[in-house]
Amino acid sequence: MSTLMLEQPVRPPLIAGEKTPGQVTADVSRPLEGKATPLWWGAFLVSLAFLGLGVVAVSYQIATGIGTWGLNKTIGWAFDITNFVFWVGIGHAGTLISAVLFLFRQRWRTSVNRAAEAMTLFAVICAGIFPVIHMGRPWLAFWMLPYANSRGSLWVNFRSPLLWDVFAISVYFIISAVFWYFGLIPDLATLRDRFRKGWRKRAFRVMSFGWNGSMRTWHRYELVYLLLAGLATPLVLSVHSIVSFDFATSVLPGWHATIFPPYFVAGAIFSGMSMVLTLMIIARKTMRIEDYLTLNHIDAMTKLVLVTSGMVMLAYGTEFFTALYSGSEYERFVFLNRAMGPMAWAYWIMVSCNVLVPQLFWFRRCRRNLAVVFVATIFINIGMWFERFVIIVTSLHRDFLPSSWASYVPTSVEVATLLGSFGLFFTLFLLFCRFLPVIAVAEVKGVLGVGRPSKAVSRVASTGGPEL
Amino acid sequence: MSIKAKRQERSPAEGMTDSLRQEKARRGAEQLQGFPRRDFLKASGFLVAGAAVGCSRGPAPEAIPLLEGSPEMVPGQSNWYASTCGACSAACGAVVRSRDGRPLKLEGNSLHALSRGGLCAVGQASLLELYDSQRLPQPLWKGEATALRDIDPRIEGALNSGAGRAIRLLTETIHSPSELAAITRFGERFEDFRHVVYDPLSCSAILDAHAETHGSRVLPHYRFEAAEVVVSFDADFLATWISPVEFTAGYSAARDLSGDPPRMSYHLQFESRVSLTGSNADQRVTVHPAEQTTWMSHLAAELAHRSSEAIEPPFAVAGPVPPPVAAAAERLWQARGHALVVCGSQDLEAQILCNLLNHLLDGYGRCLDLEHPSQQKQGSDKALAELRQELAEGQVEALLIRGVNPVYDLPGGEEWAELIARVPLSVSFSQSLDETASVAGAVCPEPHFLADWRDAEPVLGMFSLTQPLVRHLGQARGFASSLLAWSGDPHSELEWLQETWKRQVWGSEGSGEEAEAEVPGSPDSDSSDSGFRAFWDRALHDGFTRVERAALTPGSFDPAVLTALNEDGAGHSSGDSSGDSLSLLLYPKAGMLDGRHAHNGWLQELPDPVSKVSWDNYACLSPAAASRLGIEEGDLVRISGSDGDQDLVLPTFLQPGQHDAVVAVAVGYGRAGTDRFADVGPVWVEGQPTVEEGGTVGVRAAGWLNRRGGELETVVHGVKVELAGGHQQLAKSQVYNDLEVPEKLRAADGHPRPIVQQASLAAYRADRTAGTPHGHFPEANLWPDFAAGKHHWGMAIDLTACTGCSACVIACQVENNIPVVGRDEVRRRRDLYWMRIDRYYSQDGDDLQVSHQPMLCHHCDNAPCESVCPVLATVHSEEGLNQQVYNRCVGTRYCANNCPLKVRRFNWFEYSREDATANLVLNPDVTVRSRGVMEKCSFCVQRIQEAKISAGSRGEELAAGAVETACQQSCPAGAIVFGDLANPDSEIVKSVADPRHYRLFEELNIQPSVGYQRLIRNQPSHDQPSHDQPSHDRQEEEEGHVDSHA
Repeated sequence: MSTLMLEQPVRPPLIAGEKTPGQVTADVSRPLEGKATPLWWGAFLVSLAFLGLGVVAVSYQIATGIGTWGLNKTIGWAFDITNFVFWVGIGHAGTLISAVLFLFRQRWRTSVNRAAEAMTLFAVICAGIFPVIHMGRPWLAFWMLPYANSRGSLWVNFRSPLLWDVFAISVYFIISAVFWYFGLIPDLATLRDRFRKGWRKRAFRVMSFGWNGSMRTWHRYELVYLLLAGLATPLVLSVHSIVSFDFATSVLPGWHATIFPPYFVAGAIFSGMSMVLTLMIIARKTMRIEDYLTLNHIDAMTKLVLVTSGMVMLAYGTEFFTALYSGSEYERFVFLNRAMGPMAWAYWIMVSCNVLVPQLFWFRRCRRNLAVVFVATIFINIGMWFERFVIIVTSLHRDFLPSSWASYVPTSVEVATLLGSFGLFFTLFLLFCRFLPVIAVAEVKGVLGVGRPSKAVSRVASTGGPEL
Repeated sequence: MSIKAKRQERSPAEGMTDSLRQEKARRGAEQLQGFPRRDFLKASGFLVAGAAVGCSRGPAPEAIPLLEGSPEMVPGQSNWYASTCGACSAACGAVVRSRDGRPLKLEGNSLHALSRGGLCAVGQASLLELYDSQRLPQPLWKGEATALRDIDPRIEGALNSGAGRAIRLLTETIHSPSELAAITRFGERFEDFRHVVYDPLSCSAILDAHAETHGSRVLPHYRFEAAEVVVSFDADFLATWISPVEFTAGYSAARDLSGDPPRMSYHLQFESRVSLTGSNADQRVTVHPAEQTTWMSHLAAELAHRSSEAIEPPFAVAGPVPPPVAAAAERLWQARGHALVVCGSQDLEAQILCNLLNHLLDGYGRCLDLEHPSQQKQGSDKALAELRQELAEGQVEALLIRGVNPVYDLPGGEEWAELIARVPLSVSFSQSLDETASVAGAVCPEPHFLADWRDAEPVLGMFSLTQPLVRHLGQARGFASSLLAWSGDPHSELEWLQETWKRQVWGSEGSGEEAEAEVPGSPDSDSSDSGFRAFWDRALHDGFTRVERAALTPGSFDPAVLTALNEDGAGHSSGDSSGDSLSLLLYPKAGMLDGRHAHNGWLQELPDPVSKVSWDNYACLSPAAASRLGIEEGDLVRISGSDGDQDLVLPTFLQPGQHDAVVAVAVGYGRAGTDRFADVGPVWVEGQPTVEEGGTVGVRAAGWLNRRGGELETVVHGVKVELAGGHQQLAKSQVYNDLEVPEKLRAADGHPRPIVQQASLAAYRADRTAGTPHGHFPEANLWPDFAAGKHHWGMAIDLTACTGCSACVIACQVENNIPVVGRDEVRRRRDLYWMRIDRYYSQDGDDLQVSHQPMLCHHCDNAPCESVCPVLATVHSEEGLNQQVYNRCVGTRYCANNCPLKVRRFNWFEYSREDATANLVLNPDVTVRSRGVMEKCSFCVQRIQEAKISAGSRGEELAAGAVETACQQSCPAGAIVFGDLANPDSEIVKSVADPRHYRLFEELNIQPSVGYQRLIRNQPSHDQPSHDQPSHDRQEEEEGHVDSHA
């Protein structure tokens, strides 16, 4: 038995390549220390160009008016809020991976959590732009904040889900940023120690808050990290629930649905995981961290994608059932119109990408085939963008009064704004790759076999039951 | 009672010292481009030196500047003055709101016996033309700007340069006694003078038909209120025909469901396109224009058969009687004496047949008044043809043109231009440099009617007055004054008006002082003078007076005409409706009419009440015809005549319910100078101009009017319609037309959405709540209901009365400073109307059934928009108003998304307000909204506040009915009731208690303050499906209904 166990471990190690802690540090620090590769420069310039396009589009729109978007008297939201919800959704994977999986002691998360959290922050930044620029008078966006003002008794409307959004998104951003930065501190200290001189040395010294690696420091670090994880976990559920209230509390058929909070949370995790996968597959290739991001990681995440796809599929079905069962003609029509009306193409893109494509992940061969996973996750991201587009636009474009039915076509300004948000996201992500450790060095060291009684045991232990 | 109760007389003194006048005029001319408000106020101050009501002092002969303000003019307070609308020849009664010297709104005069308080969209929008910065600021002599004092001697000299010269005056219909008197005075001076009248929207055939059948060329005064059955052949009497406001008022008076038993006339419309009138008919039958005469003959034969009179119906009609005609004959015969047949055709035979029908139905004297005929249309197409002949022969020495634009609105416009240019002296009175004025040798612009003394006699014995509310912008002089100046007998407008009234109107009142009054210019005899003053003051105050004038005594129907007709043979043309050949039908569009208001942005943007298309005209084709020709909506088509000498390239519009062999095109488009709209609407990367620089809005179709008989006809048979290549998206404010969802998206038990609830008259008689949909059960509210304060404002709109005429849309636009957004924005579905009219189609057997539903903010007491605004920019007042706080709005648009009625409008751009002169029309009581904020109907909160303040300052309670919203006031049908739901005396409480009343989306528990009275159609009950019936049952019933026709 034991021989068998030694020769055929239940699971392969989390980190391949039999790394020593020193190698780990060196591997992760390498991209920071050397010169940027041409590939990085290429990617960075392309992203920057898209960002520039977005800046031009948004400046033009703010200078000229929301009329430069394809909205009309019937469809008051389209690309703007679609992009907002899409990016908030993308931002979900980070917190899920870092906080929830941490609490569940899923130690494979250590390889991806840093990048996923960074992605979360950048996605939330992208998301946060849209509620501001979608306003008719964005320069007055601060009126959404309940601050003491000199306008008599003017206050914000606490009944409005848009106000809840302001709180939900800002809290989410703050907690995620703190959580991410806190996890960075040991690694920043490592980098501080690796750099001999220069501005980065000084910067890392400041940023690492005088980390000294003592037992007491580590103890407090672990405690605070656990507490922050506990604080962040409810946010995974709350943020997207509240975003879904933007729709669920309305009277509009297609929006007014009690299923929205869990549906949106599942969809967010689904899209967030897909986006993490897409990015990780690129990162492990370009940054040569295949040993840290193994096929096992990919495999584990695709399973999560498959599960959340199932939830989303269930939600799609439930919406139709609810509409049928409600007896409300407006409700029934909205869903028939979604699937068969003039914007059915968007609906079927959504269904094919979010329901059909993930079915590939039932098969181990597909889960472990990087090309398949890469393409599938891109489709899922497209599908999840369309999910929000379908919910927002197809519900609005044909609602109660047939006299007001309209159609929607985006303008070049809107498309440029969407591209610009991707430009911003990738610009930030590439800067992150270049200047901060993409892998949580300290945490990864914890899952290495170093210091264990034997390799075999370490393998078993590291993949088996709970540690520590 | 209403705001109008405050109406006051204004007698601003006419004139000032000559030098003063010229100085002001010179400055006015210089500053017309961007006339500053301050100058405007100063200028209007000159005018306000008159007497207040009851003041014994007469108007000062010369005006002096106001050193002390008039007690009448309080800064910031509006005065209402009675006047007469001059936008078309119908001359409806109007009251004008003037504030700080600016006329700001035109409304209907409820004292007026004809229009009865309504005013149409065109009339209300004509206010904007007062502030038209592109109007001619001074006279032109051979294209050069000049002054009146310079041009007068030249014109006078040219007129008097020799004896026996042919002098012709070409005008639209003039029924103003003072202008007619001036024309007489002017004409007396010349040996060879003739006054030729034509109407671009001609009723010449009706007049000529009466000349033949009744021996006098008059237009009957149609009395729709007396008609129990109305059969109309292509007459669009609710929108564009003769006097639509009056007819709408009469028509809805005959359809009053509040009585017991309910009274409702039966309206049958035979037409080839879908007119607004047809859309309101209880039954609408599609007939080809060429078959119309045949059908009328059949109808005449049917009626003659029933009649005891030995009348041989003309045109021995062959073939079976069309079933709708047989049914119509029966209904008409049942209602004889109270039946009215009207015909909008310009075919003389059709009009003679129409007279025969009315004669057989005993309609003359009851539903058609020939003794007090209408004078609103007097044009004679025959006289026009003679004039053209004279011009072509070069016999005319002087041609004066007033109120018409022959180069534009007559066929062969270019030839007219040449002919006019050849006349030694041609004078136009046009206010702008229109097509005709630009070829005329001299232009003496007359003022806008709001800046002029005028009068009118639209129907014999019904007189009304127009008083100037503001000084002319620039140098303009009234038509009558100009004529008098050139006949060496200069009078100011007011002097001449009073003289004429003294002589003709007051004198004919039978006051026994005729002899005295007939001496003009001797107003110093005391008793008659004070008698006249009282009469004049009352008339000026009311804006209207009715005087018993000797009635005309027209002959009775002369059957001999029919014999003559028969001898001509069945000469009525029959169109070839087979194959690719179609009949072109030219029609006036509601709002645009003959194109005289084409420079008015409000009217250009007003959606057609039926097609819902604004800007541009288009070729209406039935969907079947279009698919046969392989044409889709928006495709550019070329319409070419059989002789191929003219063609017309237009985008296509698919009009369900239109005859398959007809292509209909609106006249009134393609006016020169409409390229002024090039800069209307926002400029941005993807923005399209409303009209290309140098182009026109739409294309001119008047060239297709043709003279087959003596009349200018609007139908051209045998035209070809083919694809011209290219596509032009129409600017539609509504793109989906049905209350039923598209067929493939219909649930198995689908039925029309219960948004326009309707029932047949028969069902309504049996059950006053007929038409109520099933399925809604009122539920308990989880939260306490809204508790209104002292007032709770509400509105009820009677869908049975509403004709969809869109007067309310313009009323709201004027009142609430709603900008014109331009064609591209309308295409992008971003019109800004607070009040719109939704129009839905349904099929009634083979026929199209149309319903109109005015839609505005419902001021829900549980408003979905209010809860979602993050910054509290839309809140509920304690009077139940849903208020929009513009300067708090940040523009998230969530409120608009969450509005089930989609009545909220967003300022997508900073809409242009660059024309400083046009900005003078803005209502100072209503905020002009900037970019990025939401707006919507406010229930005219400024009027509510004004009424409350006014009542409060008198220490009184606000009376029921003291507040009238702009839409309510304007409605010619009286379909809108507004008031305080908390006041048991108010009309609105009665309306809400009416079993016909319903509210939208009660299942959403939004608790709207606006409700509707169900649409009742005068139909038998079996063809009116109730909503709970499965659709296949309805299908069977519809088939049954069709069978009943067969």
